[in-house]
Amino acid sequence: MDMLLELDHISKIYGELHAVDDLNLTVPQGEWLAIVGSSGSGKTTLMNMIGCMDTPSKGSVKLEGRKLEDLNAGQLADVRKNMIGLVFQKFYLVPHLTAVENVMVAQYYHSVVDEKQALEALDRVGLKDRAHHLPSQLSGGEQQRVCIARALINDPKLILADEPTGNLDEKNEKIVLDLFRQLHEQGTTIIVVTHDALVASCAEREIMLNHGVLVGEKWNDENARKAYEAAGGRPASTGAQVEGAQTGETAIGFADPTKAAKTGGEEVTE
Amino acid sequence: MTNTGMFFRMLFSAVFRRRSRAMMAVVASLVGAATLFCLAMICIAVPQQMNEEMRAYGANLIVTPTSSTTSGDKAGIDSAMVEHTTEMVAAKGSEKHATYRYENVRVNAAPYVMAGVDAKQVKNLNHHWVIDGSWPSDGKVLIGRDIADAIGLKVGSRITIGYRASDNASTSTANGSGNTTSSAPSVGSSRGGNAGGVSRRESDDSRSNEAAEGSAVAGQAGSANAETGGASEGSASTADGTTDTQQSQSSSGQPTQDGRVSSDIMDTSGTEFRVAGIVDTGGSEDSIIYATNADVNKLTGVTRGVDVIEYSAGASDLNALVTSINDMTSMHVKAQQVTKITASDTRIITMLQTLFWIVSLVVLVLTLVGVGTTISSIVSQRRNEIGLRKALGASSSAIGVEFYVESAMYGLIGGLLGTAIGYGLAQWLCVAVFERSIGFNWGLGVASVLLAAIVAVVASIPPVHRATRIDPAVVLREE
Repeated sequence: MDMLLELDHISKIYGELHAVDDLNLTVPQGEWLAIVGSSGSGKTTLMNMIGCMDTPSKGSVKLEGRKLEDLNAGQLADVRKNMIGLVFQKFYLVPHLTAVENVMVAQYYHSVVDEKQALEALDRVGLKDRAHHLPSQLSGGEQQRVCIARALINDPKLILADEPTGNLDEKNEKIVLDLFRQLHEQGTTIIVVTHDALVASCAEREIMLNHGVLVGEKWNDENARKAYEAAGGRPASTGAQVEGAQTGETAIGFADPTKAAKTGGEEVTE
Repeated sequence: MTNTGMFFRMLFSAVFRRRSRAMMAVVASLVGAATLFCLAMICIAVPQQMNEEMRAYGANLIVTPTSSTTSGDKAGIDSAMVEHTTEMVAAKGSEKHATYRYENVRVNAAPYVMAGVDAKQVKNLNHHWVIDGSWPSDGKVLIGRDIADAIGLKVGSRITIGYRASDNASTSTANGSGNTTSSAPSVGSSRGGNAGGVSRRESDDSRSNEAAEGSAVAGQAGSANAETGGASEGSASTADGTTDTQQSQSSSGQPTQDGRVSSDIMDTSGTEFRVAGIVDTGGSEDSIIYATNADVNKLTGVTRGVDVIEYSAGASDLNALVTSINDMTSMHVKAQQVTKITASDTRIITMLQTLFWIVSLVVLVLTLVGVGTTISSIVSQRRNEIGLRKALGASSSAIGVEFYVESAMYGLIGGLLGTAIGYGLAQWLCVAVFERSIGFNWGLGVASVLLAAIVAVVASIPPVHRATRIDPAVVLREE
């Protein structure tokens, strides 16, 4: 199994604050990973570093074997548009462009604009009939689906979603999770940042951060774990010497993200 | 759809689907362009208008015959030369002119200066003349206020004007010239002399040499010259003048009675005219009788050229015009500036222009600040959009081009509307103040639209630059 993403002792430090502290993580192609943790645990910072929108203070990020710290701003932008699809909690649609135009913007910066393909992407997320509506005329769920269609349009290898259901009701949350499920089945690697236990439980694997430190890891899909380990994949770990940190080769399990963040994890029994 | 098509689709969406924001930017540019264009039009129009207005306050250039022409006879400047000189003046700018033929005449035996004029020309040139009654016409004369008061004439009164060839004898030239030089100021101040306002104006301007020369030339040309006129008038007070005149008369072989030089001092014969009007200028014109050229020809029995051409010339460089006329020696005329008029014209117009340009500069700076702040605020509100575009893989330069073109569109639309409104304002102002319309200055119009676009683009550079150099993650995290 090829590793799409490799984080090697990465840290993001703002003055005295370690937003992400010495994290090691490998993500194979096609995996659905959830990064969980409470607010301020460093989830979004980690996602930004993976998504080439921020650079780590220490350590190295490799995407398909390419070290991101060796790339300049232009090359990082190229990696972003060619390999990564971004889904935001606040959607970030361009307010004066219609749904289909918002999807086409991603094509515009990637390669060539193709309206038919953009409409197909909207069709895929069930919004073909809303293609020519402005974001202000769409519901939150519809806007998030446009955002997902935009993320999908360039066939990225990795979809990074930051709290994708944070602003949605249950019905729309289910629609979005179904879409992720479909993408996962098609082999797209998905990394979802969330503090929602339900959303996290849909992923094959979850890692938990607390104040920037890795404090737990668990697999929701045993087959995926076995396949990962068979391919030489190792559990995530941190070099941070903090109480409760997952520092060794043994994954520390957790039952509920919020509870685990507060009380620490439980030893996973083999 | 091509990427270029998408570029314009995004551009038009940004402009036409964000109408309120776009409107703010367009209005900012519009106000700036309208104010600047209006001021610039007025900056150009007002000095031109003032120049024309100033031209109505008399001549700024006079042309007299050179001595070589006039020493032998009293031909003056013939009509062909008047036309030729006028063409030279007209070639350098707008012009208005009037010609004067001066003769010494007698009213009730007292000597006066009479000027043969074309009433329309004089009226057109001297808007400041206050006329009680009407301008001269055939058989009717316009007399100066001083004469009217001295003789007790009113509009409609009859006046008998006599002409003596001896009063206008050219042989007195040599003596007269000398006399003129010294007496020009007194002639000028008391009667204006036969060079009309010329010697007066120049004397006032303390340019006595030129004044004397001018008077002398005029005097020679008309032979009714200032010295004779002045001397005649001064005969009651100036012995020298009288002597000169009498000497010249005797030397020219005047008839004698009983072995003495004939004195026609009591001779009151002449031609009867009606007083059409009385002119009051407060200057030398108040001591002159104005008649039509035809009447003067009839009275004197001689048809000849004019002694003085007065020009109100719109030429920007009057000195060059004077030089070019004087260099043409074959024309046998001499041009001089009326320094008092030209200097005050230039000073007032320069002051006005400076004032307007300073005001324009202040407005330009205020406009830059206003438009700049508005556009800058509009772009700043789109930081998230800029961050998103970067997150989607856009390069900073690509985002810059999109936003700069959009700002330029705001500037162009605002500039076009503003220039049109500015022209309307300038037009309204000119009609209200100067009672005349102004033509559209296309060069200024294009400059105004381009300036509005450039200001809008320049104003958007700092916020776009700030937004594009920040990591998209930072921009997207805000809100």
